[in-house]
Amino acid sequence: MTKEVCYQIRHLTAYEYTGRIDLCQSIAHLKPLIDGSQKTIEHSVEVHPKPHFQTEREDYWNNGTLYFEVQGSHQSLKVIATSKVVKRITDPVVPRSGAAWDDVSARLKMGDSDEKGLYFANFLLPTLSCPRLEEIDEFLEPSLQPGRDSMELVSEIMTRINTEFDYVPGATDTTTPVVTLLKNKQGVCQDFAHVMIVALRRLGIPVRYVSGYLETLPPPGVEKLQGSDATHAWVEAYSRATGWVGFDPTNNIIPAHQHIKIGHGRDYFDLQPLKGTFVGNGNQRLTVEVDVERC
Amino acid sequence: MSGTTYSDSTVSPVSMASFGYAPLPNRRDEAFDSNGKIVPEWEGLFESIGRHGIDILDEWDSVATRISRERGLAYRPASVEAETDAGWSLDPLPWLISSEKWKPLESGICQRTRLYQALLKDAYGEQRMLSEKLIPAEILLANNGFVRSLHNLTPGDERVGLGMSAFDIARDTVGNPFVVNDRFDSPFGLGLALENRTVINKVLPRLFRRCGVEQIGQFFIDWFKFLVSRAPGGKVDPLVVILDPSTQNEDSEISFLANYCGVLRVHPADLTVRGGEVWIKTLKGLVPVDVIWKLMPGKRIDALESEIRGGGGISGIFEVMRMGRVSLASHPGSEVLQSPGFYPYLPKLCRAFLGEELELAPVATWWCGTSKALSHVTANLSKMVIKSVGHHHDFQTQYGSRLSAGDLEKLRERIHAHPEGFVGQEELRISTVPTVRAEGVVPRGAVLRAFSFPDEEKGAVVMPGGLARVSSADGTVVSTRSEGESKDVWISTGRLPDGFSIASVLERSHPAVPDIVPSQKGENLFWSGRYAERAHAASRFASRVLSCRDQGFSNDDQFEVAHEDFLLEALFVVFDSDKLLGDEKDLDKRLEMVLVDPNCPAGIAYNLNRFHYATQATRESWSPASIRAIESAGQLWRKVARDIDPDLSVSSDLFELQLKLSGFLGLNLDSMTRDEGWALLDAGRRIERGKIITSLLIFLLEGKFDEDMKSLLNESVLFILDSARTYQRRYQDTPQTAFTVQLLLSEVDYPRSIRHIIDRLVDVCEKIPNPSQHAHPRALLATASKDLTLLNERIDMEIEAGIFLDSELLVEMRKLRDFFINLSDQITVSYFSHTVES
Repeated sequence: MTKEVCYQIRHLTAYEYTGRIDLCQSIAHLKPLIDGSQKTIEHSVEVHPKPHFQTEREDYWNNGTLYFEVQGSHQSLKVIATSKVVKRITDPVVPRSGAAWDDVSARLKMGDSDEKGLYFANFLLPTLSCPRLEEIDEFLEPSLQPGRDSMELVSEIMTRINTEFDYVPGATDTTTPVVTLLKNKQGVCQDFAHVMIVALRRLGIPVRYVSGYLETLPPPGVEKLQGSDATHAWVEAYSRATGWVGFDPTNNIIPAHQHIKIGHGRDYFDLQPLKGTFVGNGNQRLTVEVDVERC
Repeated sequence: MSGTTYSDSTVSPVSMASFGYAPLPNRRDEAFDSNGKIVPEWEGLFESIGRHGIDILDEWDSVATRISRERGLAYRPASVEAETDAGWSLDPLPWLISSEKWKPLESGICQRTRLYQALLKDAYGEQRMLSEKLIPAEILLANNGFVRSLHNLTPGDERVGLGMSAFDIARDTVGNPFVVNDRFDSPFGLGLALENRTVINKVLPRLFRRCGVEQIGQFFIDWFKFLVSRAPGGKVDPLVVILDPSTQNEDSEISFLANYCGVLRVHPADLTVRGGEVWIKTLKGLVPVDVIWKLMPGKRIDALESEIRGGGGISGIFEVMRMGRVSLASHPGSEVLQSPGFYPYLPKLCRAFLGEELELAPVATWWCGTSKALSHVTANLSKMVIKSVGHHHDFQTQYGSRLSAGDLEKLRERIHAHPEGFVGQEELRISTVPTVRAEGVVPRGAVLRAFSFPDEEKGAVVMPGGLARVSSADGTVVSTRSEGESKDVWISTGRLPDGFSIASVLERSHPAVPDIVPSQKGENLFWSGRYAERAHAASRFASRVLSCRDQGFSNDDQFEVAHEDFLLEALFVVFDSDKLLGDEKDLDKRLEMVLVDPNCPAGIAYNLNRFHYATQATRESWSPASIRAIESAGQLWRKVARDIDPDLSVSSDLFELQLKLSGFLGLNLDSMTRDEGWALLDAGRRIERGKIITSLLIFLLEGKFDEDMKSLLNESVLFILDSARTYQRRYQDTPQTAFTVQLLLSEVDYPRSIRHIIDRLVDVCEKIPNPSQHAHPRALLATASKDLTLLNERIDMEIEAGIFLDSELLVEMRKLRDFFINLSDQITVSYFSHTVES
């Protein structure tokens, strides 16, 4: 019998506006996906003020996608996602692909696809926020011993991002380019994920951005894991032998049952938890609260 | 009815030599064969030239220029701010193509439309092209025109389809046609083609008839039917709009298309998504839209889902598409198919998707993503055209033949760094067509842009004709989107048409544009009126300052300087921009700000620019004469700004500008339909005028001036408001504040009195509909009108009794000024911004 753990997740996003907003359209990626290691058994999203219109669908990456409109003057917007997710308990193991990173013949081809039929080209090619950067070569260089197992290399890159970059909330925002991250060596989880994506794509290893939650256990004496106050982000890399495997450069761990996955894409912008446009005046102030509890 | 054929016509042989035409060596000419003999379908044209003599070309050229200028549509000069008058020009000589030569082209275009329609459906659906490895995956997936959020929209649905498509076709030295570009997303040039046809048909009506040129009117009728047929759920009588990304002049061919096809032209800001539908914000409220003929890049069209941040567009429109409640033509993801990366694989794709051999070959193309192609391209770089396959945002097509050895090396390095991002194409030596230049008729390289759209029965409908773009003197590169030289394209049957005139086709072809005024258009008309009035007032101020300097009306320099100082300060106060003056005390500098500073809201240049933008955005509302007035005002002031010299007076330029602006303000009254758009324009200018007059009166009442200064400032105010003569007639006295106030507040039939302005506003606003959510301005106006009557009675009494008090009147005058501001605010909220109360 496989062991399981059940999580109750509450994810609040609140915008306070200084002026009046008359119309807002939003897209939310808040529904944890279902895969071999996790099952979403309950999920609901509450929006205040109540949307005049909403629809749900799956996007290109099979992520649950909610669209809603709020009409009429409002000064705040609250989105509360509640999910119950069952995760299989696993032990994190550093995987091996059985192929050397520099073995060109073992490389995955653009036109090949994963088990879900998504072409690797999606995860090998540059995007607007994860462009092709020569600047990454200098960072990669010390790890590129010939003949190394490719997944072992990926794991080392994760560790090096974790040790060489500082976790500094507020030092960056969602538009900070990777080239700046490489220079300043600081950021938050999504920045580290983007750096890792740029690095692995440079090596021809398919990699995708993962958005999700992280359970934090703060017993006395144990260092508190970062990422507990907000949504979390990490990456998944692919090899034929392993399929998609998670890597969390923020915490230098292989994600297991404490990482609850919402979905994946090429980079942050493919699955922002909440994005929207509004008509009206004023600036906005954002608050995010995430609670992940066992149930 | 059998027609006349070329061989029957009485051609007096015209040789190339007779008018000095010399085709280029090593290039094929469309009009003359290699022996210098005229190609049959061109005979009529040259016979005509021969008959009239070579000088007829100058006449044709000037007639074509005059007609297109008068039409004022496609060939307009660039904005006021631009240094030069760029734009499109039209060559009077058409490109003649015989029916026999056209037939295979038409068939090839038709097949290509069917092929790309199939590719589009596949790219956004099943993706056989990837699963069967018909193309390298990066050709599709690395292209920034591939809109992932539209994948699997509704497979097989008609909404996943091409709309108006364009194919650029060139012929090589042996006459084989090649496609050099495909445009599906929002091809430009359709309006230019239509405009060219209309103009050339007027220049060469008889020749047009003799050549039996195929009409293009039916193509537009069919296109409109196609758009109507896209309506979700087969809705009868759907609302079709044309979406123009720019409210400015760059794409003014769109407003021509809109008028011609009877389709309402809207801009992204006119549309809003609410409740799973797309709506137009109109003066009457929200109106649902069914079909959008979009002329903006599809990947930018949904501000919410666009990968390009801050790209504008209409939030939520993809969601409405997913629900099948709006149709967009073309499919917003069709840009991906424009990639030349498909070219090497096109024959294979054609066999796979259509089971046919490709009829119309693309120009020879190598995708650098394969090592073989890469080495071929880099080894032959100087003979190649290098294009991006859609990965880069910053790569301009490069012509190897034009690059220095150093630049070739740089390009080679760039390709090597990212080979899969590029293709190399053979540089064609494209064929030439005779083109009129000052020195005579000369050969110029030409590319034909053909237009088509899908059709369920025929596969595609192809326009019999198109837009020809002509190269610059030296070579093979034809013009870009924003400027260049074009030609009409005649598909010549050689038979006389059976009594079918183009005029009748043009007349009867299309429905009238729906009677809907989008809010933004209303707002732009409103502001056209306001900015014209502001520019006029600012120029009157400047005229006053200059004429005082010229005349030297007193012997007291200090007095004159003080007067000028007061005036300029007043001008900045009137336009709420006195903060801008800051520490600038130098009067010459202040005057220069007023004259030419494009960032000074109290200045002429600023207001003329704004005026120009607002009128450009509403171009289809204006008569050609109004457009002429607007443009010549802009041209005049551009020249003044360029040549400004402190030592030279601009008095006469100012006077000319005032004439042009008055001309505009008068013309629009006579030539515009008196609908709600006109009402808003008229309301805008009257509100602005009311605000300027009350502001000036406040200035007179408020200021602490001595008697001489007061009298002079009164004179200045009357001059600025062009009211000196009327004052003289009525009072026959030196200017004094009481009379100035009385005249400008009470004179009933005088357009520069507040009485008249408010009376007219009452009338004009009755033409504006009742807004669905907010109050009509009539209540506000009624109160103001009553208050004004009382105020005028009081002023009359006070003057009579000799107890006229500036300070008390000042309070009333401020209230009156606030009324104009409030009225403007109310019109904005009720008609333009459409915000819903919750």
